[in-house]
Amino acid sequence: MNRSTSRIITMAAIAIMMVLPAFAGDYPLQVARNVMMYMALAITWDMLLRSGQISFGLAGLVGLGSYATILAVVRGGMPDWLSILFAGLFSGLVAFGIGFFILRLRHTYFSIVTLALGEIFRIIIHNLHDFTGGPEGIVIQQGVMFGGKSGPLYWLTLAGLGVALAASYWFEKSKFHFALTAIRNNEVSAKTSGVNIFRWLLATFVITSAIQGMIGGIFVQSYGFASPDSVFSADFTLLPMAMALLGGIHSTVGPILGGILLGLVSEWLKLQIPYGHLVVYGLMIIVVILFMPSGLLGIARKAGSRKSTDENQRRAV
Amino acid sequence: MAVKRQKAITWALGLAASVAILLWKPTVLIYGLQTAGLYAAIAIPMGLVLGIVHIVNLAHGEFMMLASYATYFACKALGMDPLFAIIPTALVTAAFGWIIFQITIRRALKAPELNQLILTFGLAIAFTQVINLMFTSQTYKMPLDYVSASMDIGDLTFGTWSFVFIAMAMLFSFGLQFFLTKTTTGKAALAVGQNPRGAAIVGIDVYKIYGLVFALALALVGAMGALFLTKSAIFPQVGSPFTMKSFCLVAMAGVGNIPGILSASILLGVAENFLRAFRGTRGWADIVFFVLIIVVIMSRSLKGRKS
Repeated sequence: MNRSTSRIITMAAIAIMMVLPAFAGDYPLQVARNVMMYMALAITWDMLLRSGQISFGLAGLVGLGSYATILAVVRGGMPDWLSILFAGLFSGLVAFGIGFFILRLRHTYFSIVTLALGEIFRIIIHNLHDFTGGPEGIVIQQGVMFGGKSGPLYWLTLAGLGVALAASYWFEKSKFHFALTAIRNNEVSAKTSGVNIFRWLLATFVITSAIQGMIGGIFVQSYGFASPDSVFSADFTLLPMAMALLGGIHSTVGPILGGILLGLVSEWLKLQIPYGHLVVYGLMIIVVILFMPSGLLGIARKAGSRKSTDENQRRAV
Repeated sequence: MAVKRQKAITWALGLAASVAILLWKPTVLIYGLQTAGLYAAIAIPMGLVLGIVHIVNLAHGEFMMLASYATYFACKALGMDPLFAIIPTALVTAAFGWIIFQITIRRALKAPELNQLILTFGLAIAFTQVINLMFTSQTYKMPLDYVSASMDIGDLTFGTWSFVFIAMAMLFSFGLQFFLTKTTTGKAALAVGQNPRGAAIVGIDVYKIYGLVFALALALVGAMGALFLTKSAIFPQVGSPFTMKSFCLVAMAGVGNIPGILSASILLGVAENFLRAFRGTRGWADIVFFVLIIVVIMSRSLKGRKS
């Protein structure tokens, strides 16, 4: 794919997203919102993955952000829009505190500790019963943001996705890209080249967690309700992972591609198998890892390079 | 010398703490040890797989959950006691694990560590959700009389059935020690664990050993699945805390240190039951393992900086 076609596709995609609320009904907009939300999570998950660290703590951070928002509104009387930013800030701060310890770990150890994060946050929410509403959850009394109108909520979610995309783009174009790739490829050589591994990882972890928390805030503001089961749902970990893996990891385009495909499929699956639709993602993750670890993007790239070598050979003959 | 002194201090502190707890709240120590037995017996197979196959199996607890479900429905159909199902379940789980190993994990052994993690995570989700799809999230429990057996010492009453977990942990620990140091296959497995390439050079079929060790670990997990059913209700997510706690214990003990798993699980079990003993702190018992793992990381990284 050369630069001009990719620019045309990007423009077309932006145009479609801009005009969608004008003619689509409530249900398509709701589907679009879900797709965008999971896509944003997939992108942030991939951003951390570019450094070679897997986080299984997506649901934990989304849930944390959700509760930060709803408690700020219900207990603190914070304005709606500010509470979403607060969720990002709060999740970022918590990630800084936790990351300070757990980023001394690498690979497996880091991943498993993040896997526990969701469980830990959930237990804390359960136990602080008087403040958080405990297992029954908590409701925003004054109602959902924008009175639940699907148009403005669409723009809100799009803004969330925009932040994730911008961050990912920034990561790809700035020093982050070189630092994270160096850490992923070989930590020792990265260190000897003067890359401060811990600082880069911490920055990445904090930024991605803040965005994930903000997405949680947007989620909870669009539904006006949070309970441990709804906001720490395994969907938030699984679906973004499956999206990023299917599309192709270590890029911005991959998670977008996987997000569109799987996002639409997942909305359909939710209707078909209400309980247990997650099994599809579990199996998909297994199949992708075993048979196409570089995802659809990797397959496309391979096909592209094969085509060009074919052409070169023909030219040589 | 310093290490020796430090070890002695740790032991003395541990002993003093347990004597204090024994005098003050004896049930905490008793139930703590019982819980420790359960944790250790489940964590030991994970340690075995991590030490020899070098794979963190994030579907560890989920395999146990599957074994429990299989036992439940087999026992229900045949009117059998789960205790008689321990050995058949172990065999079936081992066979199942061997098949899963051959069709999935084996292909990812040469791949980066990240792929293995994501793969076993996918397995865990697939297992949980298949059970969720088949049996919904309803809980199942076996009504058994002997589980509520109790014992009185003075005015102290406590359940005795869970001591079986301690016996099981001991059996696993000593059995594995024997297997790994005295039998030819076990020695080969140990060699593979230490250096796969070297083991291949001296003529050991590395992949065969991997499959065998994985199956052996799952046999132990399967046995624990059947035994777990006697004590506890089962539901699709019942295994996942055990995956995390097992990993926590293995990480605390250090890879390849089976006796270390025993002492780590005593610490975890007693600490959890200590919190459960008070009404106000009961809900916090489940985050002890997380705190422990953070403390272990902290102390290791401080120690690393000193040396």
